[in-house]
Amino acid sequence: MDCHNIQEMLSSYIEGVISPEESKLIDEHLSACSKCKEALYDLKKTLEYVQNLEEVEPPEWLTQTVMTRIRSETEPRKGILQKLFYPLYIKLPIEAVAVVLIAVTALYIFKTIQPEIKPAKAPSEETTARIPSREKEEIPSISESKENVIPQSPPLEKGGKRGFEAERALPSKKTETMDKFVELPEAPSPITKQEESRPSAGAVAKDESKNQVLARAPKSKALAESKEEIITLTTNVDDIETAKKEIEKVLIGLGGKIIKTESYKDNNFITADLDSKKAAELIVKLKQIGEVKEKDMDLGSMEGYIEIRIEIVRK
Amino acid sequence: MREKERTIVNKDAELVSSCKKGNIEAFDVLVKKHQKRMLNIAYRMVGNYEDACEIVQDAFVSAYKSIKNFKEKASISTWLSAIVINLSRNHLKQMKIQRNREAFSIDDPVLTDEGKINVEPGSNELSILEKLEKKDVQQKVQGCINSLDNEFKEVLVLRDIQGFSYDEISDMLKMPEGTVKSRLSRARYALKDCLKKIIGEL
Repeated sequence: MDCHNIQEMLSSYIEGVISPEESKLIDEHLSACSKCKEALYDLKKTLEYVQNLEEVEPPEWLTQTVMTRIRSETEPRKGILQKLFYPLYIKLPIEAVAVVLIAVTALYIFKTIQPEIKPAKAPSEETTARIPSREKEEIPSISESKENVIPQSPPLEKGGKRGFEAERALPSKKTETMDKFVELPEAPSPITKQEESRPSAGAVAKDESKNQVLARAPKSKALAESKEEIITLTTNVDDIETAKKEIEKVLIGLGGKIIKTESYKDNNFITADLDSKKAAELIVKLKQIGEVKEKDMDLGSMEGYIEIRIEIVRK
Repeated sequence: MREKERTIVNKDAELVSSCKKGNIEAFDVLVKKHQKRMLNIAYRMVGNYEDACEIVQDAFVSAYKSIKNFKEKASISTWLSAIVINLSRNHLKQMKIQRNREAFSIDDPVLTDEGKINVEPGSNELSILEKLEKKDVQQKVQGCINSLDNEFKEVLVLRDIQGFSYDEISDMLKMPEGTVKSRLSRARYALKDCLKKIIGEL
C-alpha cells in the first residue's frame, strides 16, 4: 500500500471509523513512513483547529423575528377571506371618493332646502311670541271664570316670567291641596296647568289671525339685527292669480328675489328676499293692489336683506 | 447521557406533533431550542453572521410551512440542518453569481509569520495577547473554510464542527456514507493545506 492510499484512509483512521484490518495496515505503514506520519499529525492539528472554533450566539431577536414572520406569512385560513375582500381593498380610493361625493351632495341639498325650512318655522315662532301679550288680556278672564274648576292657570311661555308666575300661583294652590296631599310635588301641577291653558290661548290666536295680519317683526331687537328676517304681509284681493303676478312684478321691480310661491285653496304665499329699506315701498305698492293688513311692522329696526312672506287671501 | 438525549428527542417529537396540529407556540419552543445550532451551521457555511441570521430565519419559516412533511423517524435537528444547508448552498450560489463579496483567498497576504499558536484546549487562562491571537486564528480558520468548495464545506461543517454522525450526514445530504467519508477526507486535507499556507507550521 502506497502513501497515497494510506493518506486517503487517514481521515477515517483518526476517527476510528475503519475496519481493524485496515487500521492494522496503517499502523504498520506509519511506523515506517515519516511522510505519512507528518500527514497524520497535520490532519489531527487541522481537526483541532476546526473543533476549537468558537460557537456564535444567535441574536436575541431571532426567535421573535422568526415567529413574527411565521404568524404573518402562514395564515391560510384568513387568506380566503382576504381574497374575498381583495377587490374592496383595491376599490378603497373609489369608495373614499364616493363618500366625499355623497357628503358634498348632502351638504348642497341641505343648503338649498334651508329657505324652505325657515318659513315653516316662522308661524310657530309667531304664535309663541304673540301668546304672552294676548294672555294678559284674555287668559285672566278665562281663568277667573274657571277658577274653581282649574285652579289658576299661570301664563305660559317666556321662561322667566312663566316660572315666576307659576311660583306665585303655587301658594294659593298649596293651601287648597294641603289637606289632601301632605307633600305635593311642585313641578307636575304647574306643568299640567300650562298645558291646559295652552290650547285656549292658541285657539284664540288662531281665530283672530285668520284674516288678519299674520306677522309682525319679532319685538326683540336682537333678532332684528340678524340679516334675514321673516315678515309676513297679508293682502286681501279679489283675483288671486293676477294679484300674485302683480306682487311678483312689484317685488322684482324693487330688487327683490322671489324664493318660492305656494298656493293652496284660499291662501297663496309668496316668499321673497328684499332689501329692508324697500319694505316700506313694497307695502305702499301692495296697498295699490289690494287691502294690506300688517301689524307691528318695525321696519326701521331691520337691516340688510329680509325675507318677506306675503299671504294673498281672497276677499 | 443517552437517556437525557432520548428525553430531548421525545420532547422534540411532542413539539413537532403539536406543531402539526397548528400550535405555533410549540414551534416557538423548537426555534429557541435549535436556533443556536442552526445559526452556527449557517455561519460556518457562509462565513457571515448577518447572512447566517437571514438564512436561519428563512430556514425556520420554511420548516414551519412544511412541518407536515416531516417524518417522525428523522430527528428534527437533522431535518432542520438539511434545510439550513440547502439555503446556505443557495445563498453561496447567489453570492458567487453576484460576486458582491470576495471570498477569503489563500493568496491574500499573510500577516503572521510568528504564529506558533498553541491551541491547547486545556489552557483556560488566556492572556489578552493569546485571546487576540486566538481570535485571529479563528478568523483564519473560517477563512480557509470559506475557501473550500461547497460540497467539502458541508461535510466538514456537519461532521467536524457539528459532530453529526456519518449516517445522519448521508441522510441529510442524500448521499452514500462512502461519499461522505471521501469528501470529508478531501475537505480535511484541503483545509490542512490552507491552514499551513496561512498560519505556517501547524
